[in-house]
Amino acid sequence: MARSNEVNLNECKMVVPLNTWVLISNFKLAYNLLRRPDGTFNRHLAEFLDRKVPANATPVDGVFSFDVLIDRGTSLLTRIYRPVTAEEPLPDVAELEKPVTAEVVPVIIFFHGGSFAHSSANSAIYDTLCRRLVGLCKAVVVSVNYRRAPENRYPCAYDDGWTALKWVNSRPWLQSRKDSKVHIYLAGDSSGGNIVHHVALRAIESGIDVLGNILLNPMFGGEERTESEHNLDGKYFVTLRDRDWYWRAYLPEGEDRDHHACNPFGPNGRSVEGIKFPKSLVVVAGLDLIQDWQLAYVEGLKKAGQEVKLLYMEQATIGFYLLPNNNHFHAVMDEISRFVGSDC
Amino acid sequence: MVLYDSTALAGNSSGSSSSSSSKPPPPPLQPQQQQEIDGLLAGAGYKVRSSELRKVAQRLERLETAMVNSPADFSQLASDTIHYNPSDLASWVDSLLSEFAQPPTCPSEFVMDPVTNQTVVNDAWTTTEPNMPQVHQNISYEQQSLNNQLTVVTAMEEDSGIRLVHMLMTCAECIQRGDFSLATSFLEDMQGLLTRVNTVCGIGKVAGHFIDALGRRIFQGIGGGSINGGSAYENEILYHHFYEACPYLKFAHFTANQAILEAFDGHDCVHVVDFNLMHGLQWPALIQALALRPGGPPLLRLTGIGPPSPDGRDSLREIGLRLAELARSVNVRFAFRGVAASRLEDVKPWMLEVNPKESVAVNSIMQLHRLLGSEPNRNSPVETVLSWIRSLNPKIMTVVEQEANHNQPGFLDRFTEALHYYSTMFDSLEACTVQPDKALAEIYIQREITNVVSCEGSARVERHEPLARWRTRLSGAGFRPLHLGSNAYKQASMLLTLFSAEGYSVEENDGCLTLGWHSRPLIAASAWQALSDAPAEFPAPDTHRPS
Repeated sequence: MARSNEVNLNECKMVVPLNTWVLISNFKLAYNLLRRPDGTFNRHLAEFLDRKVPANATPVDGVFSFDVLIDRGTSLLTRIYRPVTAEEPLPDVAELEKPVTAEVVPVIIFFHGGSFAHSSANSAIYDTLCRRLVGLCKAVVVSVNYRRAPENRYPCAYDDGWTALKWVNSRPWLQSRKDSKVHIYLAGDSSGGNIVHHVALRAIESGIDVLGNILLNPMFGGEERTESEHNLDGKYFVTLRDRDWYWRAYLPEGEDRDHHACNPFGPNGRSVEGIKFPKSLVVVAGLDLIQDWQLAYVEGLKKAGQEVKLLYMEQATIGFYLLPNNNHFHAVMDEISRFVGSDC
Repeated sequence: MVLYDSTALAGNSSGSSSSSSSKPPPPPLQPQQQQEIDGLLAGAGYKVRSSELRKVAQRLERLETAMVNSPADFSQLASDTIHYNPSDLASWVDSLLSEFAQPPTCPSEFVMDPVTNQTVVNDAWTTTEPNMPQVHQNISYEQQSLNNQLTVVTAMEEDSGIRLVHMLMTCAECIQRGDFSLATSFLEDMQGLLTRVNTVCGIGKVAGHFIDALGRRIFQGIGGGSINGGSAYENEILYHHFYEACPYLKFAHFTANQAILEAFDGHDCVHVVDFNLMHGLQWPALIQALALRPGGPPLLRLTGIGPPSPDGRDSLREIGLRLAELARSVNVRFAFRGVAASRLEDVKPWMLEVNPKESVAVNSIMQLHRLLGSEPNRNSPVETVLSWIRSLNPKIMTVVEQEANHNQPGFLDRFTEALHYYSTMFDSLEACTVQPDKALAEIYIQREITNVVSCEGSARVERHEPLARWRTRLSGAGFRPLHLGSNAYKQASMLLTLFSAEGYSVEENDGCLTLGWHSRPLIAASAWQALSDAPAEFPAPDTHRPS
């Protein structure tokens, strides 16, 4: 057992830069401390350990941010990131919700990762990522601080995502000049990617237009054990056991991983054939043990006749998009910017 | 399908390439480089020196091995350990490692070379590291947090509320420019607009206070009228209701007491110096906690500083008597001394009669900012006071301050920051339904607003500065931080659940704790200890060192 562990650690070390390895290993260690075998979660310690950053209405590198409480009942906060414009390099703090001025402004609703249990909109790693997206896509980014498992199970995260979508869609100040409509994209990593799919489904049912879905290493699964799960279990920071734990924490009690939340195109899935589902950009890391599920998701979309682009990053591990120190990062960022920019 | 592989990494041109990439260990870094924090990890909230990355990685590996080998011990680790300052990753990892009694084995660092049968250092990162592009500049972690930061939390507001805010800002800008006649006309417009806005809650209520404060500044000049001359008695009443209406002061007292209790562990003669006694609200809990201490309570001396009573009453002594009664009832030997002073800078250390044999805790709840003069010069009151605090060689100094940047030289910047800070604070007060606590708490806050906005020079005492600045100031004055841990965090969080309002949040910030409303920190608590090379007036035995 110890011997194979050595091999695991070695393989892992060779594919990521040192600081990335330290960051993700630190998360892995901390997360192990937080998950209890009985399915409960040490939330106090989780919040204590999570590195957070405040919003900042003073622009840094051309981006400023502020927090908005969009639903008092559920304490649903969102962090909004906006670019400074050429006309107004220093934003008027009194008018944070000043109308966007460009002909077309993409609004990206972002759902952070954390396997439904960890992180927040104000986690440092996600604050950094959202700021990057602003500059990259010349977009406004709305990061949703959705309720987390195990305290809040399915469908709370989707409900919060839906609340945020409705809120964004109804902001006059987010409407693009061109057509007085809000140009909405949904984006998310890990559990956030999963939320993107399910919120997009609700959008269609209610007639709100979503222009595109961006799923970064989205979290999907199923009862069956796939080849990638066997081959990569425990090798690159993630184990099957921890994946199982998180699904047990999020899904309704008594449900298994073929629940449609976890396995959207599985035996209990909902077909998206014949509906106006947004075009999708799905990024899969080649060293992610759940890739078979992610690839199955892409196949599911294709079979239903939906537009989907797959970016398969062969040597990438989970979290490669957190630090800009590898080529996968830059390649994916370029694709995202093209994906969002193609509607202008 | 798009394929990318890691060999492309080597092609990055923007980095510094090193021809000695195959040689472990890397050449010794210059002292300056050694201090450099990894910029990318700093962005993720972790301070790790670039030169220490490898060491931290190795320790993480050891922890992982320990975790795999003894999972039961590991989960014990989770429930029993107190964690400190997660930003300092190296220390955090080390502290977890030290919880494991086993001597560390490093299977992954050394492997047998199958050809030569000799152990080889398995340094898997050397090939990739030197070619890493220097995408992010290594910047000082402290500098990052000192950059001008303005935190804003809004709720959905109606249009006239937004107009009001806009006018407030414009009016403030006129005042900064010296255009008082235009400012006055804005003032009149705003007073008109107020009648059409909901002033019972939300932005309308706090706007009303800011409009008043601007009015004072324009018409009464920056002496601030008599707002700060409200009697000490009045101030104490307002303070008490502020204490009852919202959790900020309770958090301050609670967190400080925890830290003081820990610092006094094992000491039999302890002396607390309270920089602002008020009604002594903080101390019953500490007295009771000391009474219940395993091994019995120490002899407790409390020195309470407060303003002199105008009418001949000795209010300090009255509070002292009440606390003494409480102490007697729980069998804690207790002595009280009151020191009357109108200003903290008038207090001299000899007035405190600190005994060389006792362990001293200095407790400052929202007092240090009052010492920041209008001109930061060599002999500003804060430096004088910090210097004599240090000379007392306290076991601990607990500091709680408003987490705001209300001491900026530019009026408009200060005004803007205050508008957002106090809007948030008022919003949090909405949750309180108890009267007259709520109304009087609002008056208490209003006085602060008025001072920040309408006063200047020595009249402006509410010179709040953010935690990052206090850190720099206190470190520079010869203090080192004592980190508040996960137990204090947890207890503070649990304290908040006593309040029905969901929206308060406790956060850990580099060893300190903050309490805020909806992601905006409003008050910060920290603990400090004088560095041991302090020129001590009294030689104090320092046999207990915090872990």
